[in-house]
Amino acid sequence: MASVSASHLILFIASLVIAAGVAGTFTQGISRLSQGIDDQSLEVSEEVRTDIEVISDAGSPVYNNSTNTVTILVKNTGTSTLDNDSRFVEILLDGRYRTNVTSTVVDGEEWRPNNVIRLEIGGADLTAGDHRVKIIVNGDEEVFRFRT
Amino acid sequence: MGFSVSGSAAIIFVAIFLAFSTAYTASANGFERMTDAKTAVDEEALERQNTALSVANVTYDGGTDTLSVDVVNEGTTGLSVNATDLLVDNAYRDNFTARRVGGDNSTDLWLPGEQLHLELTTPTRPDRVKIVSGPGVAVTEVL
Repeated sequence: MASVSASHLILFIASLVIAAGVAGTFTQGISRLSQGIDDQSLEVSEEVRTDIEVISDAGSPVYNNSTNTVTILVKNTGTSTLDNDSRFVEILLDGRYRTNVTSTVVDGEEWRPNNVIRLEIGGADLTAGDHRVKIIVNGDEEVFRFRT
Repeated sequence: MGFSVSGSAAIIFVAIFLAFSTAYTASANGFERMTDAKTAVDEEALERQNTALSVANVTYDGGTDTLSVDVVNEGTTGLSVNATDLLVDNAYRDNFTARRVGGDNSTDLWLPGEQLHLELTTPTRPDRVKIVSGPGVAVTEVL
């Protein structure tokens, strides 16, 4: 009888250990999935809230010949504060990715909704003709066409 | 054996309960976040659709180097004076010497049908003036 009880005890402990293992793996997996859903929803909602508008007047000079600089004004027309750091504002001038960009908020400290930033794209060296600038912020894309 | 099965089943049941409560909370929060964002964007789009501007008058007084701009809110939504931007020959200008709506220089509200008057000093006669409202709707005037 004692050997039967010992066997039952061993089987009982083994089953609990296996069940705990399965439960731990399962809850860990679901926890990771939940964290993923949380992060993704935050990111997507930020993208949905992001909206920018290029407000530069294409009829006025946008390109400065003497300094080879293109100056673009971009307004935050969305509902969330954006980061105006040039690392978060992607710029393509005539299809070429530009890194020589200076970004300044012209009417405040931060790029909040309704605030405007000035983007100065240096080393542009544009020839006479039509040009285009593509600005990408947080997944929102804007294209601005101008003539030099 | 009965205890083993019951104990294991209890552990698995509790684990499933905890896991699904976590997943439900995350999904509900995510869904709510997305709904809020979508609602905000829809409201913004509606505001933009209801926004219209028209330039009533733009004059430059060479004697006093003063540029005067009068813009009428032709839409059906109230706009913010502080959120309205002025570009003079593509240069952002916010150093207004006067900025008023219907004679009131303290209000931020620019209501439908009202006229916004802007004045600023600029040494040369500008060629183009652009006024951009808060929702992004703009109007350009060539002098």
